[in-house]
Amino acid sequence: MKIIIVGDGKVGFTLAEQLSRENHDITIIDTDEQVLRHAADVLDVLCIRGNGAAITPLKEAGVESADIVIAATSEDEVNMVCCLTAKRLGAAYTIARVRNTDYASDYNAMKKELGIDMIINPELATAIEISRLLRFPNAANIDTFCRGRVELMGFRIQEGDFLCGKPLSEQSNRLKNLPILFCAAERGEEVYIPNGGFIPMPNDNLYVIGEPVGLSQFFRLLGRYIPKIKTVFIIGGGKITRYLSTLLSKMSMHVTIVENKMARCQELSEQLPNATIIYGDGTDQELLESENLGSSDAFVALTDRDEDNLITALYARHLGVPKVVPKANRQNYTGIAQSVGLDSVISPKYITAEQILQVVRGMENSKGSVMKTLYRIASNKAEAMEFVINETTEHLGIPLKDLPLKNGILVALIVHQNRITIPEGSSVMRQGDTVIVVSRDHTILDINDIFRTPLLDKDRRPL
Amino acid sequence: MNFRLVFKICGRLLMVEAAAMLLPLLVALLYGESPRPFLYSIVIIAAVGFILSQLPSENHFFIREGFFTVGMIWVLMGLAGSLPFFYSGYFTSFIDCVFESFSGFTTTGATILTDVEVLPRGILFWRSLTHWIGGIGVLALSLALLPSLGARSQYLTRAETPGPVVSKLTPKQSRSSIILYAIYCTLTLLEIIALLIAGMPLYDAVLHTFSTAGTGGFSSMNLSIGAYGNPVFEMIIAVFILLFSINFSIYYLLICRRFREIWKSDELRFFLTVVVLATVAVSLNIRHLYDGLGEAFRYGFFQVVSIISTTGFCTDNFVLWPEFSQMLLVLLMLCGACAGSTGGGMKCSRILLLLRCIRRDIHQVLHPRSVVVVKLDGKGVDEDTLRSVLIFSSSYLLITLIAALLISLDNFSFTTSFTAALTCVSNTGPGLALVGPHGNFHAFSSLSKVVLSLCMVIGRLEILPILVLFSRNAWKRA
Repeated sequence: MKIIIVGDGKVGFTLAEQLSRENHDITIIDTDEQVLRHAADVLDVLCIRGNGAAITPLKEAGVESADIVIAATSEDEVNMVCCLTAKRLGAAYTIARVRNTDYASDYNAMKKELGIDMIINPELATAIEISRLLRFPNAANIDTFCRGRVELMGFRIQEGDFLCGKPLSEQSNRLKNLPILFCAAERGEEVYIPNGGFIPMPNDNLYVIGEPVGLSQFFRLLGRYIPKIKTVFIIGGGKITRYLSTLLSKMSMHVTIVENKMARCQELSEQLPNATIIYGDGTDQELLESENLGSSDAFVALTDRDEDNLITALYARHLGVPKVVPKANRQNYTGIAQSVGLDSVISPKYITAEQILQVVRGMENSKGSVMKTLYRIASNKAEAMEFVINETTEHLGIPLKDLPLKNGILVALIVHQNRITIPEGSSVMRQGDTVIVVSRDHTILDINDIFRTPLLDKDRRPL
Repeated sequence: MNFRLVFKICGRLLMVEAAAMLLPLLVALLYGESPRPFLYSIVIIAAVGFILSQLPSENHFFIREGFFTVGMIWVLMGLAGSLPFFYSGYFTSFIDCVFESFSGFTTTGATILTDVEVLPRGILFWRSLTHWIGGIGVLALSLALLPSLGARSQYLTRAETPGPVVSKLTPKQSRSSIILYAIYCTLTLLEIIALLIAGMPLYDAVLHTFSTAGTGGFSSMNLSIGAYGNPVFEMIIAVFILLFSINFSIYYLLICRRFREIWKSDELRFFLTVVVLATVAVSLNIRHLYDGLGEAFRYGFFQVVSIISTTGFCTDNFVLWPEFSQMLLVLLMLCGACAGSTGGGMKCSRILLLLRCIRRDIHQVLHPRSVVVVKLDGKGVDEDTLRSVLIFSSSYLLITLIAALLISLDNFSFTTSFTAALTCVSNTGPGLALVGPHGNFHAFSSLSKVVLSLCMVIGRLEILPILVLFSRNAWKRA
């Protein structure tokens, strides 16, 4: 697809990086020569210097025939004008990043009146993601399928877990009988799709899929069950904090916020009547201890500095806070953070990029089987996708064990007539089913991509 | 430096080269000549290429690997391309074969052969085919064929494409390469057809078209295009030389009907102006040697176009022309064609930027606090690009002078040594005096031939990729 990205900032660059890797034609427009040069250096994209809201650069980028225009500059107004112009010039779909809270209540009207097809608010999206992590504190990260009826959770295996050192096929019957499935494992840089012979080791990141009930049973069995979170401690009082606190208050959690600017504290206290606002330096250990950080159920670090967030998160972990969520804008920190035990690192630019990516992929799949959701798991090295099986799907009605699946592909879950089942070798996919597929190393755009060379297997299709 | 990946890519490229040799093999068979030189070469190159391409490697590929790979590939391609010459038995030493092969791939067109016409047709075909392959670039070709290198592949094409700024036609590098080659092939076909209609035999037409397309200059005749004495052939070839020395993105803009952007192209206007002015000057200067101005224009125009595009075809021995014309041709050689074309030299856009920098500096002497942005095509050019243009120009001249110094060991006249070095660095072919259009490089010592071969690759790849090969840091494993 032809995609134009206006604004080569954190989000714009991340999007360009991922989309160009998925073989889309990307054109980036930005006013800054230097960032454009960097993008042109490392990505296979076309760079145009100019104001993305002006007509000439947009035309030079070929907006008339563009499938998607994504406006992700730092200015909301530029983004809106850009989408408006692009739409008038003939772009098929426009996405604008709008983060100013003043516009937050008018999203629907803006979509209708300005012709913007999708509005992304990175801070809001990040806040929603964090709130989800706090709602399900057992998992390092969590993705939901089938409108929340199925969850995919990642967690880290610790020294002494009963899973360690034994192949999955020889684990206790109690575990085997749980309606869950281990669908991916990350060990160091490698990602595995585990089979019966897979032996979990300490420090592996294991991904498990199933219904929420089954998953809580599993975590209880593992002795890693964290009861519902009631108090949350947040440092940094930016936009994310504001959205997050509102969301958490609705979930009747109590929020304590530490912010080091007086004016901002006063604003927050006005907007969030239920929260405790503390004026002070969130990285000051004495302050944190005096506010009894150790006794809260969760700690969220949302200051501007990645380093402060990660260090204070480590400190909170050291104090024994069960759930710790630091924000890190630079992706290269995530790996290091994970190796010291911070599993749930949040990166707003990735969350934003992910949201847009889902839309793009969804548009590409408008023909053939419909991909309903897509998540990247295991440090972006594997993907979990939800498909609806329709008449274009091949190999219907064949037991899974006989399917010619590519290597690194796992059919993790089948929903047949509203019944969720963890598939066995004898399970079959039927038309109308929803399936969840986990894939490593492959870009799956259509359900039929999971099969090895479908041409050769044509004769085995049921007639 | 990730040597394994570098050599793996080199291996793949060698296999492409082996495949390209199937064409001259076919020609040799068609004319009933011995296919052995090509059979041996294909087997050797394909075997080495296959072994290298099987190297297991990590995917670590960044700009330094890109530059290193490009330099390495061109050197290896040149060496491999010399094998058919070597096995043909018409060359006196291996160094001669290497010189001829480098001269082919870098589209220089300088030769060490005293008599071209005795060579088998298959070998002559391969000589011209190397021009065609080297013209747009071996890497662009392989990217069009094997896009598997992915996003990092632009490090390769960037190092290979001539010009100060590399502009892509479309977002995807592999697609850009395909478009580029489509334009290249179309123009090539058009020229073959035009020459056929004008009455040139098919074999000659194909050969000369390949040499024109790469702006190379190898001919199957000792007297080059002059051997035909046919003004129609000359005009067709001159026009196509002009077409091939224009930035190829102009054609893409033409296809997309973006005429206004073409009109805005400073480089194109500069190039055409230089061509017109030089043609007028040369024609007036040589008019007493020919029957009237028309005849003088015929020879003057062809020679100006042939030299500024760094092709190096000739219709008459311009060594016998007045000094002014000779000097002008040497300057045109230095200037060269447009960036993003198949021509060599310093490229018009660089000369243009250089002139504008000079104008700016004069302006700033008069108004010390003035801020002036140097523009090209109506857009500001950033200081980094300007700096690289300056560095390029000075190192270009420096390398030419050093090469001339080394060649002077052979004790030829200053004109011979200097123009031999310049013509090789700028990928033109003929120089003045002994290396003039009717002369050749046969008399030089082996050392000079190696130096000149290196000059040709340095000129074709615009210096850095080859110098990287000589940097001690590049060879460190890290």
